Amino acid sequence: MPETLRGLAERDPLLRVLPLLEIRWARVARAVALGTLTLVCAIGLAAAAAWLVARASQMPPVLVLSVATVGVRAFGTGRAFFRYLERLASHDVALRGMAALRANLYDRLARGGADVVALRRGDLLARVGGDVDDVGDVVVRAVVPASVAAVAGVGSVVLVGAFLPLAGLVLLACLLLTGVLSPWLASRASRSVEVRGAAARGEVSARTLELLEDGQQLRVAGRLADRTAALRAADRRLAAATDDGARVSGVSAAIEAGAQTLAVLGCLLVGIPAALAGDLAATELAVVVLTPLAVFEVTTALPAAAVQLRRSREAARRLLALLPQAAAPAPVPEPAPAGTLLALDDVAAGWAPGAPVVRGVDLTVRPGAVVALAGPSGVGKTTLLLAAAGLLPPTHGRVRGGGLFVAEDGHVFGTTVLENLRVARPDVTEDDARDALDAVGLAAWLAALPAGLDTPLGTGGTDVSGGERRRLLVARALLAPHRVLLVDEPAEHLDAATADALVAALAAHARATGRAVVVASHRLGPLGLADEVLLLDAGPDGAARVVARGPHTALLRADAGYAWAAEQERSGPSPAAVPPRPRP
Amino acid sequence: MRPLDPRLLRQVRAARAYVVLTAALGVAAAGLVVVQALAIAHVLGPVVLAVSPGGDGTVDQAATTRWLATLAGAAAGRAVVAWAQERYGRRAATAVVADLRAQVVAHAVELGPRPPAGAAPSDVATLATRGLADLEPYLVRFLPQLLLTAIVTPATVLVVLGLDWVSALIAAVTLPLVPFFMWLVGTMTAGTSERRLTTVERLGSQVLDLVAGLPTLRAFGREVGPGARVRALGESARRATTGTLRVAFLSGAVLELLTTLCVAIIAVGIGLRLVHGDVDLVPSIAVLVLAPEIFLPLRRVGAEFHASTDGLAATRRAFAVLDLPATPAGPGTAPAAVGGTLVLDEVTVHAPDRHVDAPAGLSARIPLGTGEPGGGRVVALRGPSGAGKSTLVLLLLGLLRPDAGRIRLHAADGTTVDLADAPWWDQVAWVPQRPAVGPGTVRDVVTDGRRVPDAALDDAARTTGLDAVLAGLPDGWDTPVGLGGAGLSVGQRQRVALTRALAGAADRPVVILDEPTAHLDARGERTVLDTVRAWRDAGRTVVVVAHRASLLALADQVVDVEAREVARA
Repeated sequence: MPETLRGLAERDPLLRVLPLLEIRWARVARAVALGTLTLVCAIGLAAAAAWLVARASQMPPVLVLSVATVGVRAFGTGRAFFRYLERLASHDVALRGMAALRANLYDRLARGGADVVALRRGDLLARVGGDVDDVGDVVVRAVVPASVAAVAGVGSVVLVGAFLPLAGLVLLACLLLTGVLSPWLASRASRSVEVRGAAARGEVSARTLELLEDGQQLRVAGRLADRTAALRAADRRLAAATDDGARVSGVSAAIEAGAQTLAVLGCLLVGIPAALAGDLAATELAVVVLTPLAVFEVTTALPAAAVQLRRSREAARRLLALLPQAAAPAPVPEPAPAGTLLALDDVAAGWAPGAPVVRGVDLTVRPGAVVALAGPSGVGKTTLLLAAAGLLPPTHGRVRGGGLFVAEDGHVFGTTVLENLRVARPDVTEDDARDALDAVGLAAWLAALPAGLDTPLGTGGTDVSGGERRRLLVARALLAPHRVLLVDEPAEHLDAATADALVAALAAHARATGRAVVVASHRLGPLGLADEVLLLDAGPDGAARVVARGPHTALLRADAGYAWAAEQERSGPSPAAVPPRPRP
Repeated sequence: MRPLDPRLLRQVRAARAYVVLTAALGVAAAGLVVVQALAIAHVLGPVVLAVSPGGDGTVDQAATTRWLATLAGAAAGRAVVAWAQERYGRRAATAVVADLRAQVVAHAVELGPRPPAGAAPSDVATLATRGLADLEPYLVRFLPQLLLTAIVTPATVLVVLGLDWVSALIAAVTLPLVPFFMWLVGTMTAGTSERRLTTVERLGSQVLDLVAGLPTLRAFGREVGPGARVRALGESARRATTGTLRVAFLSGAVLELLTTLCVAIIAVGIGLRLVHGDVDLVPSIAVLVLAPEIFLPLRRVGAEFHASTDGLAATRRAFAVLDLPATPAGPGTAPAAVGGTLVLDEVTVHAPDRHVDAPAGLSARIPLGTGEPGGGRVVALRGPSGAGKSTLVLLLLGLLRPDAGRIRLHAADGTTVDLADAPWWDQVAWVPQRPAVGPGTVRDVVTDGRRVPDAALDDAARTTGLDAVLAGLPDGWDTPVGLGGAGLSVGQRQRVALTRALAGAADRPVVILDEPTAHLDARGERTVLDTVRAWRDAGRTVVVVAHRASLLALADQVVDVEAREVARA
């Protein structure tokens, strides 16, 4: 490959993504061939009809016309037939490409090392679907139409040029107007609309979301009217951006509409003198003048193709940004020391090099142990759990053994309750599932579900409330084969009693099965159940460290801040047991 | 399916302007098409006859020049019409989308906090942003072609009728066949393609679901397995889609076959009649040029059919939302609540899909604060998860009507109103679980458009703990906050909202808090307690949904909220 081409292939995101589509070029060629045949029929129909009428006007014997009449009818029939086949062929290529792209994308993401951060960015994931479609569409909407236009355009120029070279040049010039200039303008216009409109479109979406999600608050606060006005203003800015683009795309449309007539006019201007001079037969003149009327169908799809090409390229760029740069092999965890399940030696962890979020943590987890990480929100408990799970390589120290990280925002898949639990282990039986749901206090919830374990959840299924979701995630963790469960904030979205019961269930499970549980919680209430509590707080350098450790009761005695915090949130065994206190 | 929803014209003013503009341009386009065909015929015809055997080899120069000039004029005219359609048509189309979006969003808000199925904020948001975006291609590409079909096609047929009645007859016979066959193919295939489309959508969303769940799968060490499943799902999606397309493209093929075949038949017919001298060459050429133009708009309508289905579906869904009965604010205005009493009488709300009433048969008398310093009250709403505490808050706000029972305000002036009929929103400051924050500077958000002296703001910030947040922000009170509170953490947003209710909405005697401590640690909770005390000390009434003992301990009155299971139907 020449150097410049290779450079282009490396720079152009679309060319870099293309291998992931696993395109078989023979299929593309078939689609292009069928597309070209379609246009051959369209142009052939016009040319044959022109010849037929011109020849007929000379009143020859009817038999002379028979070839032309058959040709006109054949072209008339063939066109629809070939168009149908072409559309199927090109869509087949595109669909195969999209399927392959999705699969390859998933594979790359899955095997791309421990890049949890990028994957947690929901906004990127939300766009994957649309971007895959956009990249796939490049075949149907850009590659095939452009190739067909090139082949058929050159063909018709040659046809007309064979009769009168000058007319061929006129046609070529007009085709360049509609096939190159007009698409270029259209692409430029759509880019300007998208670039300038992006901010406005983003604001329109954000304003729409704000009104819809916070609408009731705005009503109560009496602010609904001015937020609605803000939405209208954002929409006006979007319209202004569209307007700017329409100035350019208007020229593109004008060229497209005028060029056909212009070509006919040009062919007449060069054809009439040639005919009068006797260089061009009457029938040939008719063909030269009337064929261009059909030729411009060749380029009608090109402005849209140019726009699609640009869109596909941008979609490809976003997809590339999502992919891990190098497929780093997942680090193989060191085995835990004998008699333990997990050992952290002077571990520091963080997201950016040189700025650990948490440091100097030593921890040994034995079978049946229940350990708690306490500390204010945002101190670094989650970061430490991720490091312990092997999902985030420690920046210092050593993690031996590992465990299952149970994220606060773990994903509930759009499938049945049972299949969601089987994410933990493929061989979970219905009884296992019921036991696990029972253990986290979801037995009543399960009983209320319309189809029990076979009820679909998530997108398009039954909605799961925050508290139910939380407990479902814990139930799934209980079913996993991992010996250590690293549970992030199990109490969130739950009332005090339910939250404490959930932590108790986790602790009981650990003690009964010999597994171990490490719980991160900013609530201190249920931590009495833990064998050891590690209290984390930010140090002078901003990184959190263990400021106190020991059993809950010992910490209550030893650490005044801990004792106060626990006192503040202390609640009885059930909320109703707290008597209402009348005001003195 | 109607190609143009009449409600769009009735309810969206911009749509009417758009249709008028497009129709006017369509008339101009039709005229130019006819002029062009006649000009070509009048230039070409005489030359062909002149250079044919038996011709005299000369043409009328003046007439030829005149017709060539006309043709040039037609070229310019067509360019201008196309330019105007793109230039002004697009603008009008954006206006239609904006108008409809504003209507849908405003109406969705009026539906209240518990909108019926299909009108949940996320659904309406998808509709109002991406869904209505589908309306633009429909308006810009499909509708003009539809109008052109209605204008250009009959106009051209009439002109052809004047030139050669046989060709006009052929076209007139073919034209009705086009919609008939398309309808026939459509009806025969509708069921299949819809079923397949659902399959395709389901398969597509399953793949995205797997991608979204990748972090979870990785945590379980099960991320590699589903790769094969993604591939298999993609393969079956492709097969299903190809099946759909094989059927869906049929109608396009029928359309194309009929129209091209008709043009071919007209051409052959003219040729054969020319031989016998039944027609003249000039009208023949004009008919030959015009024949494809009869069908061109119709074919483009077919090509943009997808744009139309998406756009029409978006329109239908938009009007489906607009047709839902709204629960606008009650007509009355509540009397002053200060010193009054709220009376809850057997209040019950049926929770959708849970087979429970939450709250169930709740009765309580809640005396409100006097507005005088020291005369404030703290009322805690208590109950396990799912008991209906948040629902009760919505009822108290008058945003929701109870399914049974009622909530009345006995005002100090002796009047009594039902809160669902006469909302007291101008007297209530509400801090929900996810308070609305931004956009604007922190000061703008906190004052919410009111004039508040700096000293009062700083006082309030000290109470709620916002001062510590402000100290960490680059520009303090003047730090900009994005839409939805972007740039602030959940806890920080909560403090901003509390400060707003404390300082900005100081003129509102009732404060309603929904789980103000949900996202806070024990230390953050203290600032909430301080804030609640400050409100009470100022004589305001604080209604608070409370899980934690610390808040309950502060309460002057605790209302226990309970759910009750109802028998399944």
